[in-house]
Amino acid sequence: MNFYLTGLYFLPLIVGGILLIAPAKISRPLVILSSLVLSVLAFLVFLSVNEPVYFSVPHYVSQLVAGADILMLVFFLWVALQRKSLLVGIMSVVQLAGLLYLLKNMSGGESLQFMVDKLSTFMFLLINIISGIIAVFTLRYIDEEDCSAFRKKFFLALLFWFIGAMNLVVSADNLEYFFLFFELTTLASFLFIGFRKDAVSIQNAVTALWMNQLGGIAILAAIFFIVYNGYGEITFTNLLAHAKAEGILLPLALLSIAALIKGAQLPFSKWLLGAMVAPTPVSALLHSSTMVKIAPFIILRLSPALKDTPVAMVIIGLTGFVFIASAVSALSQDNFKRILAHSTIALLALMIMMGAIGTPVTIVAALVLVLFHGISKCMLFLNAGVLERVFHLKQSSDMDRLGESGPFTSLVMTIGFMSLLLPPFGAFIGKWLSIETLGALATEKKLLGALVIVAVAGGGAVLSLLYFKVIGLLINRTGAQDQIRFEKTGPYYAATIYILLGLVLASVAGLPLLLTYYFAPVASAVNGSAVIVMQEGWNLFVGSMRIPLLPMLIAFFLLPVTILVAMFIRFRHTDRVKEYMCGEKINYSFSSFYFSTDRAIPYFSAAGILFFIALIIVALI
Amino acid sequence: MNVMNAYLIPVLLIVLAPFIGGLVYGFDRIVKARMQRRTGPPLLQPFYDFLKLADKRQMMVHSTHAFLGLMHFVSLWFALAVLLLGGDLILVIFLHLLSTSLLILAGYSTRSVFSHLGANRMALSVLAYEPVLIIMAVSVFMINGSFDTSVVYASGEPLLYKMPLAFVALLLVLPIKLKKSPFDVAEAHQEITGGVEIEYSGLFFEAVYTAKWLDYIFCYTLVFLFAGNNILLGAGLIIFTFFYLAALDNSTARVNYKQMLRFSLGVAFTLAFINLLINSLI
Repeated sequence: MNFYLTGLYFLPLIVGGILLIAPAKISRPLVILSSLVLSVLAFLVFLSVNEPVYFSVPHYVSQLVAGADILMLVFFLWVALQRKSLLVGIMSVVQLAGLLYLLKNMSGGESLQFMVDKLSTFMFLLINIISGIIAVFTLRYIDEEDCSAFRKKFFLALLFWFIGAMNLVVSADNLEYFFLFFELTTLASFLFIGFRKDAVSIQNAVTALWMNQLGGIAILAAIFFIVYNGYGEITFTNLLAHAKAEGILLPLALLSIAALIKGAQLPFSKWLLGAMVAPTPVSALLHSSTMVKIAPFIILRLSPALKDTPVAMVIIGLTGFVFIASAVSALSQDNFKRILAHSTIALLALMIMMGAIGTPVTIVAALVLVLFHGISKCMLFLNAGVLERVFHLKQSSDMDRLGESGPFTSLVMTIGFMSLLLPPFGAFIGKWLSIETLGALATEKKLLGALVIVAVAGGGAVLSLLYFKVIGLLINRTGAQDQIRFEKTGPYYAATIYILLGLVLASVAGLPLLLTYYFAPVASAVNGSAVIVMQEGWNLFVGSMRIPLLPMLIAFFLLPVTILVAMFIRFRHTDRVKEYMCGEKINYSFSSFYFSTDRAIPYFSAAGILFFIALIIVALI
Repeated sequence: MNVMNAYLIPVLLIVLAPFIGGLVYGFDRIVKARMQRRTGPPLLQPFYDFLKLADKRQMMVHSTHAFLGLMHFVSLWFALAVLLLGGDLILVIFLHLLSTSLLILAGYSTRSVFSHLGANRMALSVLAYEPVLIIMAVSVFMINGSFDTSVVYASGEPLLYKMPLAFVALLLVLPIKLKKSPFDVAEAHQEITGGVEIEYSGLFFEAVYTAKWLDYIFCYTLVFLFAGNNILLGAGLIIFTFFYLAALDNSTARVNYKQMLRFSLGVAFTLAFINLLINSLI
């Protein structure tokens, strides 16, 4: 086994252990150092792994894994009893029964349990670099948390264990191992969401637990059908090798369900929205680099088999619906973190959709979205943490004076939102590729394609309005405040935000290079056929798709640059006037408009359930 | 001839767009006045206004607000240029959305009540007409197999015959886009004194004012798309739309924003959607 890989698996576990027992004094240097080391390791692994690396662990580890599985499920049962949650109880019992049955009946073949390919290394980079940044941010954030010194240490330790579990999830080839690591991330997020121990936190943690357990059950069921259909080994590799086999759709559909639940797609969006009660670094972690990104990962892994199947069509329909539904739901939100959460769900839907379509270009689009969404969302959530701690703001409608009291924070947040929306940022390129490739889908599957394009374009328009609504609050000020003095937020906050800002800006500047040397090789590995990125005059070709660079470049100056310039430009020799008030003196709250779309939510959930049922039905026939 | 068609006419149109838009606006005011049995202003009145504004003392609330107004004009011109040069229709719609967003942003950037109300209402207007435009674009794609408007301009078969309902839907939402009665809630002079425009004056108001002329050209180009390469039909559609808008503006009273949203999403959206279903099933 690769030396760097060993580091990626064991370092987080060891660091977590040390953080838990060592005095708080050494946690700062330790966290910073290990974040750096993990990032470097992830980068080295990305460079060194070109062909898939398979490796196995000794037999006793398999028994350990089975033991750990059972132990964890017993813990879940204990949680169910303690919290008196029937759902968690049922899920745990079903999982336990399923697991025991499978352990008894599964052929104990000496398969290779781990596989690290280009996609895994892509995920390593995202997981380790972004989570490392969040860990450094957390050092300061958790210091101000109102809890015992031990729990502060526990929080940091948990964070590193989470990173370790994520590194394992993306390298597991054997589905039983995958199940364990999948459930470990569920466990970690359960502990994270319930960290504050108040009634709401506990309730939301339990919701997150049973929903994600349902995903675990889906994986177990998938394993069952792989064994039952006689495909042999229960590995991803073997599953993909049987891509055309009879009855393959059911395991694929089940694994996709696990992915859709992890990705908080309707009607399972509640767990991610509920996760907002946790300390902000948790949200940053769940949304940007870990947890929800398992969803596009699974779909991308399965995409060669999923492509063009009825299951993929249902997934495309579902995610198209989720994209527009969560964009619409986001319009009614005032809590800043909830706005971000809804937009995460929408963008996840797009990533999953692109993975499910599975052409080389859509894979590139999915990867672009995964990475850039990760960076931008992490930046926005960390800023939400700064808002909470430094400015004591949680509702977006209270932010209308942020432009005056915290110009730097509002500048960074503006850039963050623009990076999710405007050309030439990666997220825009991802959306652009999505819409253009959906066109290709529409020429084959006419109705589905047309509806999905409408959903994506319409949802995109709604999301843009939403982002502009928030940006509008961020740049709001009176004419009396012309001086800009950047506020000080402390070294940990400032440093992490500067790093993320640097990453966002570097990704824009280096996009053509990134496409050629970073996304295209990964997409080729996922898809099995080469993805060619080339530049020809003012056009950038990704496979057969053309990205016109000139309009992008002009749009870059007209939109993002304009907004930034607008924040700082000062015209001289122009007289100032007060705002016109019709001679009246009134108190007006300068918040923004809201739509009460809450009434629609039950319908959205119902539609989501119908899609899930359809997913199973098409897999059965 | 071919090269001329491909580049010369679009480029001329782009360069002259503010001027033509001003003429259209001036003519619009005359037609509206004649419908009310008034004489109306001279045709060049918008340009007289323009010159008068240029001479005014420069005033602003703050630079952010003023600059966003200027850039609204510039980015709208760019969106129009992409449309006229045969660019991707989805890209055009997004660029137009974003240029409108700059003006909305300008509205939010001040602490002015009317400016805020106007920006909120403008955002709602966008929400009312945008879905129809997007469905229109997708229908075009289903017919032509491409989002490029250059394909539409070259096509011998006018889109009108294939997507008549979408054309009706477009006619229903155009008053929202052009801020004509009964859907002029975003501007509503008697109610919110012009909305976002209220805080602009002098040169900066000039930009916002001229941007409205560009919007005329933008909308009439969208109408022209329905005629394909049939210029006569295109001219007919534009003239029809022009008189329709003037008559509608004169004969209706303003509705509130809820009624507007309900109408556009209930009627116009449904019409366009039915058209899309038909286009994608055949």
